[in-house]
Amino acid sequence: MSDFVEQCRREWKRLQVPDPLAEEMAADLASDLREAEAEGVSAEELLGRSVFDPKTFAASWAAERGIIPAAPERRTRRRPLVLVAFTAVSALVVFVSALALATGQPQASIVATTRSHRPSAPAGFVPTTRHLVAQASLAAPVEWILLVLAILALGFAAWLWTSWNRSGPTRGLPA
Amino acid sequence: MAPGAQRRTELLRGVLDLCLLAVMQEGPAYGYEMTKRLRDRGLAIVGEGSIYPLLGRLERGGLVETYRSASNGGPPRKYYRPSSAGRLALALGVSEWRAARDAVDAVLAPVKIEVAS
Repeated sequence: MSDFVEQCRREWKRLQVPDPLAEEMAADLASDLREAEAEGVSAEELLGRSVFDPKTFAASWAAERGIIPAAPERRTRRRPLVLVAFTAVSALVVFVSALALATGQPQASIVATTRSHRPSAPAGFVPTTRHLVAQASLAAPVEWILLVLAILALGFAAWLWTSWNRSGPTRGLPA
Repeated sequence: MAPGAQRRTELLRGVLDLCLLAVMQEGPAYGYEMTKRLRDRGLAIVGEGSIYPLLGRLERGGLVETYRSASNGGPPRKYYRPSSAGRLALALGVSEWRAARDAVDAVLAPVKIEVAS
Protein backbone atom coordinates (compact mmCIF):
# COMPACT_ATOMS: atom_id res chain seq x y z
CA MET A 1 0.00 0.00 0.00
CA SER A 2 3.02 2.29 0.17
CA ASP A 3 2.55 2.61 -3.58
CA PHE A 4 -0.91 4.09 -3.02
CA VAL A 5 0.48 6.61 -0.55
CA GLU A 6 3.31 7.48 -2.92
CA GLN A 7 0.85 8.12 -5.75
CA CYS A 8 -1.18 10.38 -3.45
CA ARG A 9 2.00 12.20 -2.47
CA ARG A 10 2.89 12.77 -6.14
CA GLU A 11 -0.59 14.06 -6.88
CA TRP A 12 -0.46 16.49 -3.96
CA LYS A 13 2.90 17.73 -5.20
CA ARG A 14 1.45 18.20 -8.69
CA LEU A 15 -1.49 20.11 -7.21
CA GLN A 16 0.98 22.29 -5.27
CA VAL A 17 -0.30 21.24 -1.88
CA PRO A 18 2.14 22.70 0.69
CA ASP A 19 4.68 20.08 1.77
CA PRO A 20 3.82 20.06 5.50
CA LEU A 21 0.14 19.40 4.75
CA ALA A 22 0.93 16.75 2.14
CA GLU A 23 3.30 15.04 4.57
CA GLU A 24 0.69 15.13 7.31
CA MET A 25 -1.98 13.53 5.12
CA ALA A 26 0.46 10.97 3.75
CA ALA A 27 1.64 10.02 7.25
CA ASP A 28 -1.92 9.64 8.56
CA LEU A 29 -2.93 7.58 5.56
CA ALA A 30 0.13 5.34 5.78
CA SER A 31 -0.41 4.74 9.51
CA ASP A 32 -4.08 3.86 8.99
CA LEU A 33 -3.28 1.53 6.10
CA ARG A 34 -0.57 -0.21 8.13
CA GLU A 35 -2.90 -0.70 11.09
CA ALA A 36 -5.69 -1.96 8.86
CA GLU A 37 -3.34 -4.39 7.15
CA ALA A 38 -2.09 -5.67 10.52
CA GLU A 39 -5.69 -6.37 11.53
CA GLY A 40 -6.43 -8.17 8.27
CA VAL A 41 -8.57 -5.37 6.89
CA SER A 42 -8.02 -4.76 3.20
CA ALA A 43 -7.24 -1.34 1.81
CA GLU A 44 -10.46 -1.52 -0.19
CA GLU A 45 -12.47 -1.87 3.02
CA LEU A 46 -10.83 1.28 4.33
CA LEU A 47 -10.75 3.36 1.17
CA GLY A 48 -13.53 1.88 -0.92
CA ARG A 49 -13.29 2.32 -4.65
CA SER A 50 -10.81 5.14 -4.08
CA VAL A 51 -8.14 2.49 -3.73
CA PHE A 52 -8.23 2.10 -7.51
CA ASP A 53 -7.96 5.83 -8.15
CA PRO A 54 -5.36 7.44 -5.89
CA LYS A 55 -5.22 10.66 -7.93
CA THR A 56 -8.91 11.42 -7.53
CA PHE A 57 -8.78 10.41 -3.89
CA ALA A 58 -5.83 12.72 -3.20
CA ALA A 59 -7.38 15.63 -5.08
CA SER A 60 -10.73 15.14 -3.35
CA TRP A 61 -9.18 15.06 0.10
CA ALA A 62 -7.12 18.19 -0.52
CA ALA A 63 -10.12 19.99 -2.03
CA GLU A 64 -12.40 19.09 0.88
CA ARG A 65 -9.81 20.43 3.30
CA GLY A 66 -9.81 23.67 1.32
CA ILE A 67 -6.15 23.35 0.37
CA ILE A 68 -6.86 23.45 -3.36
CA PRO A 69 -9.89 24.73 -5.29
CA ALA A 70 -12.55 22.18 -6.11
CA ALA A 71 -11.78 21.48 -9.78
CA PRO A 72 -14.82 19.29 -10.60
CA GLU A 73 -17.19 22.26 -10.22
CA ARG A 74 -15.24 24.28 -12.78
CA ARG A 75 -15.30 21.37 -15.19
CA THR A 76 -19.04 20.78 -14.92
CA ARG A 77 -19.75 24.39 -15.89
CA ARG A 78 -17.14 25.19 -18.49
CA ARG A 79 -16.21 22.07 -20.36
CA PRO A 80 -19.69 21.21 -21.64
CA LEU A 81 -20.05 24.70 -23.14
CA VAL A 82 -16.90 24.21 -25.22
CA LEU A 83 -17.97 20.70 -26.14
CA VAL A 84 -21.47 21.76 -27.09
CA ALA A 85 -20.12 24.53 -29.33
CA PHE A 86 -17.58 22.20 -30.96
CA THR A 87 -20.18 19.49 -31.55
CA ALA A 88 -22.71 21.96 -32.95
CA VAL A 89 -20.20 23.51 -35.38
CA SER A 90 -19.07 20.06 -36.56
CA ALA A 91 -22.64 18.93 -37.11
CA LEU A 92 -23.42 22.13 -39.00
CA VAL A 93 -20.45 21.68 -41.31
CA VAL A 94 -21.44 18.06 -41.99
CA PHE A 95 -24.97 19.18 -42.86
CA VAL A 96 -23.91 22.06 -45.10
CA SER A 97 -21.25 20.01 -46.91
CA ALA A 98 -23.64 17.13 -47.50
CA LEU A 99 -26.30 19.52 -48.73
CA ALA A 100 -23.87 21.21 -51.11
CA LEU A 101 -22.73 17.89 -52.50
CA ALA A 102 -26.28 16.66 -52.96
CA THR A 103 -27.82 19.71 -54.54
CA GLY A 104 -25.07 22.11 -55.54
CA GLN A 105 -23.92 22.80 -59.11
CA PRO A 106 -21.50 21.75 -60.37
CA GLN A 107 -21.08 18.55 -58.48
CA ALA A 108 -19.27 15.26 -58.58
CA SER A 109 -20.75 12.73 -60.98
CA ILE A 110 -20.05 9.42 -62.56
CA VAL A 111 -20.83 9.15 -66.26
CA ALA A 112 -20.69 6.30 -68.70
CA THR A 113 -18.76 6.91 -71.94
CA THR A 114 -18.34 4.80 -74.99
CA ARG A 115 -14.89 4.76 -76.61
CA SER A 116 -13.37 3.07 -79.56
CA HIS A 117 -11.10 0.33 -78.28
CA ARG A 118 -8.98 -0.12 -81.45
CA PRO A 119 -8.77 2.96 -83.58
CA SER A 120 -6.60 1.12 -86.12
CA ALA A 121 -9.07 -1.66 -86.71
CA PRO A 122 -10.45 -2.16 -90.22
CA ALA A 123 -13.32 0.02 -91.30
CA GLY A 124 -16.68 -1.42 -90.41
CA PHE A 125 -15.40 -3.14 -87.30
CA VAL A 126 -14.93 -0.79 -84.43
CA PRO A 127 -15.17 -2.57 -81.05
CA THR A 128 -16.17 -0.30 -78.24
CA THR A 129 -15.86 -0.46 -74.47
CA ARG A 130 -18.01 1.27 -71.93
CA HIS A 131 -16.01 3.22 -69.33
CA LEU A 132 -17.15 4.73 -66.11
CA VAL A 133 -15.48 8.08 -65.61
CA ALA A 134 -15.67 10.10 -62.45
CA GLN A 135 -16.06 13.77 -63.10
CA ALA A 136 -15.74 16.39 -60.46
CA SER A 137 -15.84 20.13 -60.57
CA LEU A 138 -13.27 22.29 -58.85
CA ALA A 139 -15.73 22.95 -56.02
CA ALA A 140 -16.50 19.32 -55.24
CA PRO A 141 -13.15 18.36 -53.65
CA VAL A 142 -13.50 21.22 -51.19
CA GLU A 143 -16.94 20.03 -50.19
CA TRP A 144 -15.75 16.44 -49.83
CA ILE A 145 -12.78 17.50 -47.71
CA LEU A 146 -15.03 19.61 -45.51
CA LEU A 147 -17.43 16.71 -45.11
CA VAL A 148 -14.69 14.26 -44.15
CA LEU A 149 -13.08 16.70 -41.74
CA ALA A 150 -16.41 17.52 -40.12
CA ILE A 151 -17.24 13.82 -39.69
CA LEU A 152 -13.84 13.29 -38.08
CA ALA A 153 -14.51 16.28 -35.81
CA LEU A 154 -17.87 14.80 -34.83
CA GLY A 155 -16.16 11.51 -33.94
CA PHE A 156 -13.64 13.41 -31.85
CA ALA A 157 -16.46 15.27 -30.12
CA ALA A 158 -18.19 11.96 -29.34
CA TRP A 159 -14.95 10.66 -27.84
CA LEU A 160 -14.59 13.83 -25.74
CA TRP A 161 -18.15 13.49 -24.44
CA THR A 162 -17.56 9.86 -23.51
CA SER A 163 -14.28 10.54 -21.71
CA TRP A 164 -15.74 13.57 -19.94
CA ASN A 165 -18.73 11.57 -18.70
CA ARG A 166 -16.40 8.85 -17.43
CA SER A 167 -14.26 11.31 -15.49
CA GLY A 168 -17.18 13.40 -14.25
CA PRO A 169 -18.09 13.95 -10.61
CA THR A 170 -18.55 10.70 -8.73
CA ARG A 171 -22.00 9.77 -7.62
CA GLY A 172 -21.04 7.74 -4.59
CA LEU A 173 -19.73 8.78 -1.26
CA PRO A 174 -16.89 11.25 -1.14
CA ALA A 175 -14.00 9.60 -2.91
CA MET B 1 -22.45 -2.08 -7.62
CA ALA B 2 -25.56 -4.13 -6.76
CA PRO B 3 -28.83 -2.15 -6.64
CA GLY B 4 -29.24 -2.77 -2.89
CA ALA B 5 -25.72 -1.63 -2.10
CA GLN B 6 -26.19 1.40 -4.33
CA ARG B 7 -29.29 2.43 -2.38
CA ARG B 8 -27.54 1.97 0.95
CA THR B 9 -24.67 4.11 -0.31
CA GLU B 10 -27.07 6.84 -1.41
CA LEU B 11 -28.90 6.74 1.93
CA LEU B 12 -25.67 6.85 3.90
CA ARG B 13 -24.21 9.72 1.91
CA GLY B 14 -26.50 12.26 3.53
CA VAL B 15 -25.83 11.18 7.10
CA LEU B 16 -22.26 9.94 7.13
CA ASP B 17 -21.05 13.26 8.54
CA LEU B 18 -23.49 12.80 11.45
CA CYS B 19 -22.26 9.25 11.97
CA LEU B 20 -18.66 10.45 12.12
CA LEU B 21 -19.52 13.23 14.58
CA ALA B 22 -21.43 10.69 16.67
CA VAL B 23 -18.60 8.16 16.90
CA MET B 24 -15.99 10.81 17.66
CA GLN B 25 -18.26 12.22 20.36
CA GLU B 26 -17.84 8.89 22.18
CA GLY B 27 -14.16 9.76 22.40
CA PRO B 28 -11.51 11.37 20.22
CA ALA B 29 -10.51 9.10 17.36
CA TYR B 30 -8.23 8.96 14.33
CA GLY B 31 -9.33 7.99 10.84
CA TYR B 32 -9.06 4.23 10.96
CA GLU B 33 -10.41 4.12 14.50
CA MET B 34 -13.59 5.83 13.30
CA THR B 35 -13.91 3.33 10.47
CA LYS B 36 -13.71 0.52 13.03
CA ARG B 37 -16.35 2.09 15.27
CA LEU B 38 -18.70 2.46 12.32
CA ARG B 39 -18.04 -1.10 11.16
CA ASP B 40 -18.76 -2.43 14.66
CA ARG B 41 -22.24 -0.90 14.29
CA GLY B 42 -22.83 -2.50 10.92
CA LEU B 43 -21.78 0.40 8.71
CA ALA B 44 -19.19 -1.49 6.74
CA ILE B 45 -20.68 0.17 3.69
CA VAL B 46 -18.48 3.10 4.54
CA GLY B 47 -16.00 1.16 2.45
CA GLU B 48 -17.93 2.32 -0.61
CA GLY B 49 -16.34 5.68 -0.11
CA SER B 50 -13.70 7.06 2.15
CA ILE B 51 -14.06 9.06 5.30
CA TYR B 52 -10.90 11.12 4.75
CA PRO B 53 -12.30 13.80 2.42
CA LEU B 54 -15.35 14.05 4.67
CA LEU B 55 -13.15 14.55 7.72
CA GLY B 56 -11.39 17.27 5.76
CA ARG B 57 -14.72 18.95 5.07
CA LEU B 58 -15.72 18.80 8.74
CA GLU B 59 -12.36 20.27 9.70
CA ARG B 60 -12.67 23.07 7.16
CA GLY B 61 -16.18 23.82 8.40
CA GLY B 62 -14.97 24.13 11.97
CA LEU B 63 -17.12 21.21 13.12
CA VAL B 64 -14.18 19.23 14.50
CA GLU B 65 -11.07 19.99 16.47
CA THR B 66 -7.88 18.07 15.86
CA TYR B 67 -4.68 17.35 17.71
CA ARG B 68 -1.79 14.97 17.28
CA SER B 69 -0.96 12.31 19.80
CA ALA B 70 0.84 8.98 19.93
CA SER B 71 -1.40 5.94 19.59
CA ASN B 72 -0.55 2.89 21.70
CA GLY B 73 3.16 3.28 21.16
CA GLY B 74 2.65 3.81 17.43
CA PRO B 75 3.37 6.91 15.39
CA PRO B 76 1.60 10.17 16.27
CA ARG B 77 -1.88 10.22 14.84
CA LYS B 78 -4.30 12.99 14.09
CA TYR B 79 -7.22 12.75 16.50
CA TYR B 80 -10.61 14.31 15.82
CA ARG B 81 -13.31 15.39 18.25
CA PRO B 82 -16.43 17.51 17.71
CA SER B 83 -16.13 21.23 18.34
CA SER B 84 -18.98 23.10 19.99
CA ALA B 85 -20.28 23.92 16.50
CA GLY B 86 -19.95 20.23 15.63
CA ARG B 87 -21.94 19.14 18.67
CA LEU B 88 -24.68 21.61 17.74
CA ALA B 89 -24.66 20.38 14.13
CA LEU B 90 -24.90 16.80 15.41
CA ALA B 91 -27.88 17.59 17.61
CA LEU B 92 -29.71 19.37 14.81
CA GLY B 93 -28.79 16.68 12.30
CA VAL B 94 -30.01 13.86 14.53
CA SER B 95 -33.30 15.68 15.01
CA GLU B 96 -33.71 16.08 11.23
CA TRP B 97 -32.75 12.47 10.63
CA ARG B 98 -35.33 11.19 13.11
CA ALA B 99 -38.06 13.33 11.60
CA ALA B 100 -37.19 12.10 8.10
CA ARG B 101 -36.91 8.49 9.26
CA ASP B 102 -40.32 8.64 10.99
CA ALA B 103 -41.96 10.16 7.91
CA VAL B 104 -40.49 7.52 5.62
CA ASP B 105 -41.47 4.78 8.08
CA ALA B 106 -45.05 6.08 8.08
CA VAL B 107 -45.14 5.67 4.31
CA LEU B 108 -43.31 2.36 4.09
CA ALA B 109 -44.65 0.63 7.21
CA PRO B 110 -47.88 -0.68 5.61
CA VAL B 111 -45.93 -2.27 2.74
CA LYS B 112 -45.97 -6.04 2.98
CA ILE B 113 -42.84 -7.70 1.75
CA GLU B 114 -43.55 -10.81 -0.29
CA VAL B 115 -40.85 -12.86 -1.89
CA ALA B 116 -41.89 -15.17 -4.67
CA SER B 117 -40.53 -18.68 -4.19
